[in-house]
Parts: sequence; structure tokens; C-alpha cells
Amino acid sequence: MWVWFSKLGSPKWFYELSGKWLPWLITAMVIFMTIGLVWGLLFLPPDYQQGFTSRILIVHVAVAGTSLAFFPLMFVAGTITLVWRMKLADMVAKNAAILGAWFSFITLATGSLWGSVMWGTWWEWTDSRLVSMLFQLFLLLGVISLRSALEDSDTAAKACALLSIVGCINVVIIKYSVEWWNTLHQVSSPVNMDASSPNGPEFWIATLIMIVAVYLFLSVSLILSTRNEILERERKSQWVQDLVLKS
Amino acid sequence: MTEKQTTTSAAFLATLKRDLLIAFKKKNDIVNPFMFFIIVVSLFPIGISPESDRLTEIAAGVIWISVLLASMLSMDSLYRSDFEDGSLEQLLLSPHPLFFLVLAKNISHWLVSGLPVVLVSPLLAYMLALPSEAYGTLVLSLLLGTPIMSLIGSIAVALTVGLGSRGLILAVITLPMSVPILIFGTLAVQSTLNSQSPLGYLSLMLVMLSVSVSLAPLASGAALKISVN
Repeated sequence: MWVWFSKLGSPKWFYELSGKWLPWLITAMVIFMTIGLVWGLLFLPPDYQQGFTSRILIVHVAVAGTSLAFFPLMFVAGTITLVWRMKLADMVAKNAAILGAWFSFITLATGSLWGSVMWGTWWEWTDSRLVSMLFQLFLLLGVISLRSALEDSDTAAKACALLSIVGCINVVIIKYSVEWWNTLHQVSSPVNMDASSPNGPEFWIATLIMIVAVYLFLSVSLILSTRNEILERERKSQWVQDLVLKS
Repeated sequence: MTEKQTTTSAAFLATLKRDLLIAFKKKNDIVNPFMFFIIVVSLFPIGISPESDRLTEIAAGVIWISVLLASMLSMDSLYRSDFEDGSLEQLLLSPHPLFFLVLAKNISHWLVSGLPVVLVSPLLAYMLALPSEAYGTLVLSLLLGTPIMSLIGSIAVALTVGLGSRGLILAVITLPMSVPILIFGTLAVQSTLNSQSPLGYLSLMLVMLSVSVSLAPLASGAALKISVN
């Protein structure tokens, strides 16, 4: 276990291993994304109350669910950076912050699109999830701007790790405190596999496929950007120079 | 020569005393955020409306947001001069637990920057036409909320102490984190205005205060170690 753990910390080992994983992950992502998007956005029967607008939710729910994974991910990566001084964890954390900000933004954008039809407004302060997602975006932007402000990469790694841990705890507190407001947001409907119910199983299956697709997309983009980061930070090492000469 | 061992409580008190002394010698660092607070609050009636009905509605929020902004401005002086003259390194090298030394610095900073703001708040609440039955709740909520702000801000200041221009990045980091305090602080005042008991919100703030007193100095200490090395 510990050998595996310390091996994972080596950028070179990760670069080689992730190179083997990537084709499989990308294939799986393309398959799930195509099925989810084509079926979910073009062929899914309209919801009995929401009409065709419910199709936006297929994307929105998947992206929103995934964007909640970023702070826990950065919390774990930050702990690894601070405790074991693992460079790789920081490379992941750096890109996770940027990806997380994009995912939060897309969640807000798709949510507003859906809200503009269903609620009749693009933005609604009384909805707790909207507001806490906005502040998650702000916190992630704070982590990104702290990293860009600190020049020394070792200091930046540790400082951002600490801020991510504090931020992760804070996101939870923000989420629950914002819920004290009256909420307008859809309570997520319970999973209903009964074909005779108005929310038939198709909707759930499409959403599940989309969630898997978005998680795969997240892994692929995180791995790709981390590989990029590895090449950039290890550019002086022998194996990277060999790799560049070979290609 | 054998050195006399100092106890941690003596070190705690010495740090507290030293910081208070420095604060009273450099009055600008205390007075400017305080003036900023009063000026910002007085701008709202001019910008929004001088009618007392509308002012009553926004009074709690205006005071709370101005407190957040002022405390953020004053945070900058918490570690800066110590960092510049090297005494921060001495603090880190001290054999006593960093937790208590950081806590002492935070307490003295709150005494000179947070407490004056809390004390002057009823006056500003009167100017914003807040009904007098809410003064008590406002002061209590500020009394619980401003130390939390100082403790959270201390982490962000410790992380950015080595940077040249850090005013704005400090705001970007700390302001989103102060959302829960803002919510509970204003809700407490609002519930008093609706003649409900604000005790629930105030006790939640007390919980947040005790959690941040016990955890934030740890994070600030770790952040100082990161920044100074």
C-alpha cells in the first residue's frame, strides 16, 4: 500500500500510467456523452409539468453534482500536500481549482437558463442552492488568485492547500447557513423507476448516464491538465527531455 | 548563565501587551478603519434614501456589511509590521505553542479594531432609524461576529503576508467566507424587529465563535509558517 502510495507521488510514474488510462477514459467519455446528450436533449419525452425544458436539467443536474466534488477533492489534495509534501497532489489541486470554477459557472449558467423558463427569472436570491453555488465559485476564484499572486511555487502549493482545506469547511457552513433562507429550488424528486409514473425511468437513466459522462469528462480534463503541468514543472528533468526528443 | 523558563501564559500575556502597546503608539492603524466604518455607513442614506422607513429595513445589513469591510481593511496591519521588522520570525521560533501566541495577537487586534466598532454601532443604528428594541441584539451579534471575522481574516492575512499588494486579494479570500456570519447577524436583528427571539441565531454565532477560536489560530499559525519560510 505504501509503496503504491509513494509511487503515485512520482510525476513520472503518474505520467506513464495516466498515458495508458487516457485512451480508455476518453472512449468511455465519448460513448456516455454521446448517448446522454443525444438521447437526453433530442429524444427524451417531455416532462408532464415542465415540458421540454426538463431536458436542460439532464445537463444541469450532472454538472451541478460534479461541481460539488471539487472542494472535497481539493481538501484531500491539500492534506496530502501539507502532510506528505507530494508534488503531484498540488499539480492536481491547481487544475482542480480552475476546473471547479468552470463547473460552478456552467452550473449557474444552465441553472439560470432553466430558471428563466420555469421560474420566470434568471436569478433568484431566495434560492439557497443558487446562492451557495455562487459563493463556492467566489471561494474557488479566491484560491486561484492566491496561487497567481504567490510567485514561489512551493509557498503557493502549501498556501493554496491550506486555503482549500479552510475553504472546504467553509463551503459546508455557507451551504447550511444559506439554507436558512426560504428556498425556491426544486427539491430533488426521489428516484422513480416505475414506468407508469409521470417522471418515468427514462429521465433518471438519462441523468445517470449524463452524471457518469460528466465525471468521466472531469477525470479526463483533470488528467490532461495535470500531465501538462507535470511536463512544465519537470521540464529540466531527464525523462521529460527524452520524451520531448522522442516525439 | 541559565535562562529563566517562561510559562506559556506569561508568553501569551506578553504578546498581548506588546501588541496593544504597539497599537496605541501607531494610532493610524486603529483610527482609519474606524473612520472608514462610520463614513461608509453615512454614505448609504445619501445613496439609497433618507426616508426612515426604508432605512429601518436596510439598517442591520448596512451596518453588518460596513463592519465586514472595515474589519477587512484593519486586518492588513495584523502581521505586516511584524513581518517587515522580523519579529514575526522570532514569534515562530519561540518555544511556546504558536496557537496561543497567534490567539494573543488576534485578541489584541480585535480589542483595538473590533471592539470600537461594536461600541459605536448603536449610535449608527440610531442614525439609520433602527428601532431601539433591536440595539441590544445588534450589539450582541456584532460582539459575537467581529471576533469570528478577525479570526478568519487572520488566516488570509497570514497566507498573504509576504505579498507586496495584498489589499484586494485579502478581500477576495475573506469576504466569501464571511457569508454565514452576515446571514446570522442580520437574521438575528431582523427577528428582533419581527418581535421573535433572536436567541437561536445568536447561539449559532456563539457556536461559530467557539469553533473558530479553537481552530482558526491553528490554521493561522500554519499559514504563517508557510509564508515566512
